[in-house]
This record gives sequence, C-alpha cells and structure tokens, in this order.
Amino acid sequence: MNSVSLLHWILFLPLGAAAFSALFLRRQGAFAAWFSTLTAFIIAGLALTILTQTSEDIKWHYELGKIGGISLGFGYLIDAHARLMLFVVSFVAAWIHLFSVGYMKEDEARGRFFAGLSIFMFSILGIVVADNLLMTFIFWELVGFSSYMLIAHYFDTDFAAEASKKAFITNRIGDLGFILGIALCLKLYGTLDFAELKLQAGSAVPIALGLLLMCGFLGKSAQFPLHVWLTDAMAGPTPVSALIHAATMVAAGVYFMARISFLLAPEVLDWLAISGAGMAALAGLCALAQTDIKKSLAYSTLAHLGIMGCAIGLGHPELAVLHMAMHAFFKATLFLGAGSVIHGCHHEQDMLKMGGLLKKMPITAVTFIAATLSNCAVPFFAGWYSKDAIIEAAWHGGHFWVFSFLALAAIATCLYSGRMIRLVFMGAPNSKAATHAHESPWTMTLPISVLGIVYAVGAGFAANILIPHSSLQVVEKSLNEMAFHLTAPATIVGAGALILGFLSFKFYGWFAGQDSLQKISPRTYQILEYRWMDTFYNWYIDKVQRRFAEFIVFLDLLVINGLAVRWTVGGTFAALGHISNAIFHRGQTRLNAIWITLGSLLFIWFLVR
Amino acid sequence: MENFNTVNSSLLLAAIFTPILVGLILLVGRNLPRSFATGFALTAFTLPALITVWFFLPCAEAYGSVTQYRQTNIWGFCFGLNGISLPLIAMTALVGLAAGIKALDQEVESRNAYLGLILFMLGGTLGVFGTNNIIGFYFFHEFALIPTFVLTLFWGGEGRRSAAMQMAIYLTVGAMLSLAGIVIAMQTVGLGIEDATFEQLFLAFHQSQLPLPAATTAITLFGFGTLASLFPFHSWAAPGYSAAPTPVSMIHAGALKKFGLYGIIMIVAATMKIGTGTLSHWFLWCSVANVFIVGLICFGQRDLKQMLSWSSVAHMGPIFVGIWVCATQGVAEGLDAAIFLMVAHGLSCAALFLLANAVRTRTGTYRFDELGGLARHTPVLSAFFIAAIMASIGLPGFGNFWGELGVFLSLRNQPFILQVFVVSTVVISAIYALRAVASVFFGKVSSTIEARHAYAPIVDLNGAERTATIILLGASLVIGFIPSLITNYTNPEAQALARIAQAKPFKAAPLQESPRN
Repeated sequence: MNSVSLLHWILFLPLGAAAFSALFLRRQGAFAAWFSTLTAFIIAGLALTILTQTSEDIKWHYELGKIGGISLGFGYLIDAHARLMLFVVSFVAAWIHLFSVGYMKEDEARGRFFAGLSIFMFSILGIVVADNLLMTFIFWELVGFSSYMLIAHYFDTDFAAEASKKAFITNRIGDLGFILGIALCLKLYGTLDFAELKLQAGSAVPIALGLLLMCGFLGKSAQFPLHVWLTDAMAGPTPVSALIHAATMVAAGVYFMARISFLLAPEVLDWLAISGAGMAALAGLCALAQTDIKKSLAYSTLAHLGIMGCAIGLGHPELAVLHMAMHAFFKATLFLGAGSVIHGCHHEQDMLKMGGLLKKMPITAVTFIAATLSNCAVPFFAGWYSKDAIIEAAWHGGHFWVFSFLALAAIATCLYSGRMIRLVFMGAPNSKAATHAHESPWTMTLPISVLGIVYAVGAGFAANILIPHSSLQVVEKSLNEMAFHLTAPATIVGAGALILGFLSFKFYGWFAGQDSLQKISPRTYQILEYRWMDTFYNWYIDKVQRRFAEFIVFLDLLVINGLAVRWTVGGTFAALGHISNAIFHRGQTRLNAIWITLGSLLFIWFLVR
Repeated sequence: MENFNTVNSSLLLAAIFTPILVGLILLVGRNLPRSFATGFALTAFTLPALITVWFFLPCAEAYGSVTQYRQTNIWGFCFGLNGISLPLIAMTALVGLAAGIKALDQEVESRNAYLGLILFMLGGTLGVFGTNNIIGFYFFHEFALIPTFVLTLFWGGEGRRSAAMQMAIYLTVGAMLSLAGIVIAMQTVGLGIEDATFEQLFLAFHQSQLPLPAATTAITLFGFGTLASLFPFHSWAAPGYSAAPTPVSMIHAGALKKFGLYGIIMIVAATMKIGTGTLSHWFLWCSVANVFIVGLICFGQRDLKQMLSWSSVAHMGPIFVGIWVCATQGVAEGLDAAIFLMVAHGLSCAALFLLANAVRTRTGTYRFDELGGLARHTPVLSAFFIAAIMASIGLPGFGNFWGELGVFLSLRNQPFILQVFVVSTVVISAIYALRAVASVFFGKVSSTIEARHAYAPIVDLNGAERTATIILLGASLVIGFIPSLITNYTNPEAQALARIAQAKPFKAAPLQESPRN
C-alpha cells in the first residue's frame, strides 16, 4: 500500500468507527470500547508504518468542488512538523483509548463516549494531515464539536452542560477571527494552499493576517483572553481531559501556528512571545490555588501552552513543536494518573482529601512522580529538553521580560508540582475514600507506565529509539544541541526552581488536610483562585449583551412591528374609516367597505409610485 | 430555447401535478377511508422526491441554464429547469416528503382535508421552481400560499388567527409589490405579461438597454424581500412559523420562502440589475440587519419554536448578502454560496421544526424554563436535534457550512467592518443554538418533564419521525461531503450572473449610480 492510501485509511478509519459505534453499538458498551480501542491501535500502527517507511514529504490533493472561483481543496501534506504531530497524536491516543476501557467500565453511555473519541480522532488527524487553510478550518470546527460532545458526556449535571457550551462558544469567537484571516489570505494571495502560500508570502506579510489567524490559536489553545473555557472543560471524563484538553487538541493550535509561521509578521510574534510567557507565569501561579486535582493540572496545561506560544513568538516553531510532543507525553500521564487516582478514590477529586496514596497505588504514584519530574524539567527528563531550550532561546534573543516570565513560570511549575505530590501521595490519608483506595486494573496502569515511565522520562535522551526517526527531522537539531551547562541561564533558573519545588514539597506537609498557603496567607490564595476574566465575561454577558439583546427585541416589537407596521396600516384604515364616517354620518357597512378598499388601493399606489 | 425531451418534461409535470391532483381528490373525497387516503398521500409525497432526485443525476440531462432553458409549454405555463432551480426543486421535494411523513403521522381533525391542503402547498411550491414564466411563477406561489393561510388558521397553534392574518397581509402585499415592479418593467421594454418567461425578460432587457427607474427595481426587490423576510419586513415570519402546524412551517420556512430569494436572483439581479448605488446600500444594510439584529432577537426568545422561527429569519441574512455581493460586485462565489445555503437551510430548518414539534408532543411545552434534561429520556431525539442544530450553525460535514463559508469568503474584497458583521453570525448563532440545546436536553430533568414522565412514560422518536429526520439530515450530509453535487449546477449560473453584474449598469438611472463611481 502506498503512503497516500495509508493516509486515507488513517483519516477515515476513525470516521467509519465512529459511525459504526453510533449506529450499532449504542447499547453494546463493552464491545464499543474494545472496537474503538482496536481502531486506535490500528491507526497508530499505520502511522508508524508511514513514519518508518518514508522520510520525504508526502503530498496529495483533490478538489472537492468549486464555489465561484474558490477551489475547495482536500489534500495531505506530511512534512517534518506533521510527522512528529502524527506520531504524538496517534501514539498517545491509542494508549488513552486503552486507559478509557478501564476508566469508563461502569459508565452506561460507553458507546456514545467511544464514538465521540473516534470522531475526535478523525478531526484531529484531519488537522495534522491538512494541506490547506480551508481543510484545516473544517477539521478545526469538527475538533471543537467533538470536544463539545465529550465535555457534555455527563450532560445531566448542570456544570457539564454549562462547560460544554462555554468551550464551544469561546472557540467560535476565536474562529470568527480565523475565518476573517482565511478571507484576507485569499484576498492577498489568491490561494489557501500551504505550499503555494509559502512561495508567495514574502518578507512583508501584513500584521492583520497574522493577528486574525492567531485568533483561531487563541481559542483552540486557550490563550489569553480566550483561556476561560479550559479549566471548565475538566467537567468531561478524565481520559477526555488527557487526550483532548492536554495532549492533542489544545496543542493543535500550536501546531497550526508552527505550520503557518511564515504568515506571522514580527509584531505578531512579539505579542505571542510576551503574552505566552505572561500566561505561563500567571497560570502556573493559579495552579497553586486549586484543590481539584484536574483543575490544577488544567492550569498547568495553560502554562505549558503559553510556553509553546512563546516559543513560536521567539521565532523557534521547532522548539514549540518539540515542547508540544514532550508535553503530550508527560501531561497525558499526569491526567491519566489523576484519573487513576480519582478512580481509585471513588471519584474524589479534592487533593486535600487525598494523601498517602504512594503505598496504596504504587504504580500510579511512581508514574505520576516521574511525569511530574519531567514537567518540572529535571535535567535529562523529556520536559527538560524542550522547556530549557525555550528559556535559553528567550535569554539569547535578548528578550528580558519574556525570560523573566518564563523563569517565573518554571518556578511556579515546581511549586505546584511539589504541592501536588505532597498532597496526593505523601502523608496520611485525609478521607475515607483515600483510606480505601486501591490500585487500578492493568488497562489503566499499562498506559500510564508506557507514557509515564518510558516516554515522559526517556523521550528526550532516548528519542532516537522511542520515536520514529523521520518524525524527528524538525527537532533533531535542537535535541542534539541540548547540552548541560552549569552556568547557562536556563540551568540556573531550572536548578533554583527545583530547589524551590523541594521546599514547596516540605511546605505543604505542614498542615494535614489543609492548604498551607491558604492557612498562612488566605488573601494571596484568594487572589490566585479568583477568576478575574470569567467575572468580567459574566458581567459582560449579563449586564451588557443580554440587556442589549432585550433592548433590540423591545425595539423590534415597538418600532417595526408596532409603529411602522400596525400604526401605518391600521392608522391609515382608521383615518379613512373616520373620514368616511364623518362624511356619511352613518356607519353603513358597505360604504365603509368601499372606502377601505379604495384606501388600501391608494396606499398601494403610494408605495408603488 | 431548447426543448425538454419528452420523458423529462412529463416527469417534471408529474412531480408538480401529482401532489395537486391527489390533494384535490383528498379535498373532494373527505370521507375516503383512512388507509386509502394514507396510501394515496404517501405516493404523492414520495413521487416528486424520486423524480427530482433523478433529475439531479447528470445522465438525466434535465436542465438548461439561466438563459437557455429546456422547457415545455402547457396551458400558458412554461415548465423547465435551470441550474439554480434544479437544486431548489429537489430540496423542496425532500422537505415535502419529510413534511408529508410527519403529517401522515399526526392525528388531526378532518385528516383528509389537512393532507390535501399540504399537498396543494407542496405542489405549488414545486411549481414555483418548476416554471419559468412570470405567470406560472406567481400562479404557483399564490397556489401554495393560500393553503398555508388556511392550514395555519384552522390547524395552527397558539395565536394562529393574528399570525395568519398578519402573514396573509404581508405576503400578499409583498407579492403584489414585486409583481407591480415587474409589470412596470415589462411595459418599459414592451413585453406582454402573457408570454414573458424569465429568459425573454432577460433578453429583452439586455438588448433594449432601456433605463429602468430605480424605484421600480426597489419595489420589486423589497417586495421579494418581504416574502423572504428581509429586515425590516420580517415581522410576519416568526409568529407565522410558530403558529402554523409543523408540516406547514417545514414547507413554508424550508422551501416556499425561497420564492422571494429565487425571484431576487432571477429578476432583480439578473434582469433589472441592482447596481452599486443607494438601492444597493439599502439592500446590503437590511441584509446585515438580518444577520445581526435578528440574530440578537434570537437571544431574547424564551420558547423553542419562537427561537427556531427567529433563527430561520436570521439565517436569511448571509443568503441576502451572498446575492448582494454577486449582483452588485460581480463576485460569483456569493451567488453560488447563497444557493448552497438556500438548499442547506431548507433541509436543516425543516428538520429543526420537525424535532421541536417532537419535543412538544412529548413534553407538552416549548418553553425553555419548563424544559431540561430531556436527553435522559429521549437519546435519539437529542442526538438528532443536536445534529440538526449543528447543521444550522454551519458545522462542517453538513451543507450549511459550505454556504456560510462561501458567503464569508466572497466578501473578502469588501470593507472589513462588513465582513465582521456578517461573520459574527458564527458566534451569534452558536450562542442561541447551544443555549437552546443546553436548556432543553442537558442539565437536570425538569419538574414538568418529571411529572409528565410519571403520568405517561416519555418515549423516544417513532419510526415516522426518524425517517423524516434521516431524509433531511442525510441529504444535508450528502451535499456537505460532496459539495460539487450542488456547485456543478450552480457555478456556471453564478459565473454568468456575475459577468452581467460586472458589465456597466444601464444608463440614465441616476439613483443607481453612486457618486463615487
């Protein structure tokens, strides 16, 4: 089979699986779960086949139709970026599918859940292989839809209903800019094809184009000011948070920006760098003020997405993609580990009620800690390779503020990581649920072991063994350049952060079952916990948008329906009737009818004149 | 003028007149046995769908182009299809089939008369897109409208009297205004109404190059606009759809309303030319108001059917804008996308009315505050409703996506602020649509539904409702995955009309020339 037909299979197999599950397996939950998981592993196998067999770009294009003069293109472009993304998506997704088999075992709506996962696979793979902006946008929207459906999995709870809506609408606000960006791109270059755009886009790309296309990234990758949906999205089942809201979908924004980096003007890059770094620092600190383990991890994801955005802004899309890959391994492990903990503690998500789980859930604990160390960028762990390179790039680029924010982000990462490990795994159990915790079945521990022990630790130094070589083309250079310098700024920041992280580990042991920071400085905790942007948006929706809409409804009723229509028409007839009455003194029905007819004719004549 | 081959012409006539004849039989034979009436009506609902889908296949060679009809003349009517009316008539037939399945599933008083009138409506609507002379165009429109009023008046829901009256006045005035405009225009070029086909009208105007008063174009444009619920002539639409029985709202909002849009395309855009002057600006900003202001009105609705009715008005906005950009700026994409959206909107909007009625028959209410958590009891209904509402807000995979996106991209050379206003529909429609989904299907099961369920268990969609929805959403998915099915037919037409618009406007029409040009 040649690589194009392999790509057809990779892309359309999940769509077929989703349709099959939705139509026939709604009530066969167990079968649907294994069916979908098998599909995911087949996709991973096919992807590995492509990645090991070929190392040059794969191109294929087909025209779906034409709207006017716009060609509706559908095609594949597998370049160096796409290879790494393809590996990460298919590989991580396969293991998360396996994890879900165990995690969702008692769920009644398993058929729907796995159909949703399959449709998500279809959508995200579409973004990976797309060779033009239009196709990217199509799958971009589909990813948003599948994310909506999966967040709404527990639809009978009000917060899941709210969270799914919020995620979709926030993404659509980003897409508004994205569509305008596509239109502008078509206007400027007359094509939407990545390869042709790259040829045509000179050095002077308008700022507006980059800004508009960036809106899509802000929405999908949950960057400021559209970041508000990601923490709420944790209402979905934990494997969904791991796959969609940590490893792949939110990273798709980064991947997209890396793919179109030649369309970003320097001013846009500057904004990406500073806002990404700021976001990373802020979100990292906010993670300190969350008691829900998934929400704390969600803030951590926000921080890492900020770091990736910052790398693109610094002019190093390859570092952003590298960090995207490494982050996918360790963050997927962290979420799956959290899922295992939640599963083991009978759906308890509050970290303050956990504790002492190291002994009860040893495999989960060890993998979680390994992934955490990767998250903290301990030298030679996967996360260190990408994160320190980005911090180093900021220093060498002479971006002082970006470097400072990134350093703060690195420190914050170590702080919340130390806190998380201390609260969840150390000390004594703080609730009945934690006391009766038990290790999860193999379907859950195997995926976290593979992703956590093998990849979150080794994906950096053992990348050439663990990742198909052709996927590493784009990042090979940065991986090889990564060397341990005791005096490098990034190393100094990293070492300091690790020491602070250890101190935080100790600090959070002071008060059992309580948050030490909240105990010592409630005000600081409150400031970090408070959701400033959400409050602002809620104020806007309640006080501005809703009132404005109600005002418009009122105007429509009063002015158009009432004054303009009823009064003009009715008023004319009434006036005519009054005149006729006045003239003929009697309310003779026939005469009135004649007058009304004449009047309406007059009215029509008046309009037609 | 090419002649239809005999097979196709008889098939087209059969598609239009079978519903009308069967409708007549059912109206006359009001005591016909139930099974007999059902079989008869089902045949009459199915036949047009089969025939028009057959027309769609390229091997049928059933259509000509805007200026080159394949047509057949009968009783003073000219029947024939072009690349624009072909997708529209097929959509009408599918919506009619779905509406028919729904109507046959309903329990109503005087069932035969009800079915007969719906068949009249369907036959008339098919006739609107199947004829190409002015007389036939208006005749069939009125033929479809009168049953609409009667059906709303006798079988409608809450507020049916005032809604039917308002609708009757608006639509009659709108049709009369547009007709008056056409008559004046024809007098200008010396064309008699009895023999005027779209084609002759078009040729006569383009040969004579006579000036046409801008007011005439304006009357025709806004007359048609009223029929297609152009802002601010939209007040009839939402109450009208809400009060009408479900099959009637489906055919009216889905298919019959497209009469106005088709008229604007065929007569105002192709023949009279809107130009780039004052009139063009008025048309544009009215269309944008459809997107933006009516979109905001949708936010304020507290009732599912009202919300859907208003959103159906709001969705006309991008269609108008697409027609505008083609007719005044000569951008072919605009018209192509507008027709795509007309077809796709017909399908999704009919599906939504159908499913909203399914919610109502199960819960007894349309009110958001009384609904909630319905997905627990009716998973299939919820899944279909979400699919339909996602289709209507332009999710890729459904036809609406290509239409909306095409309109957005066709505006790429227009002022940025205009683009922002029009594209804002993706956010506005997502907000009200998802709000509706969340308050009807998600969340805790509401006390109203709880009480109702305790009284008599709420069951999921029945076979008839499923079939009807699958027909509509299936068709939308097919054109969503294979857009060339529509664009192959519409693209040559859109290119032709864009060239007409690019040519210089007719002379001596001062209002049409903007001072800047």
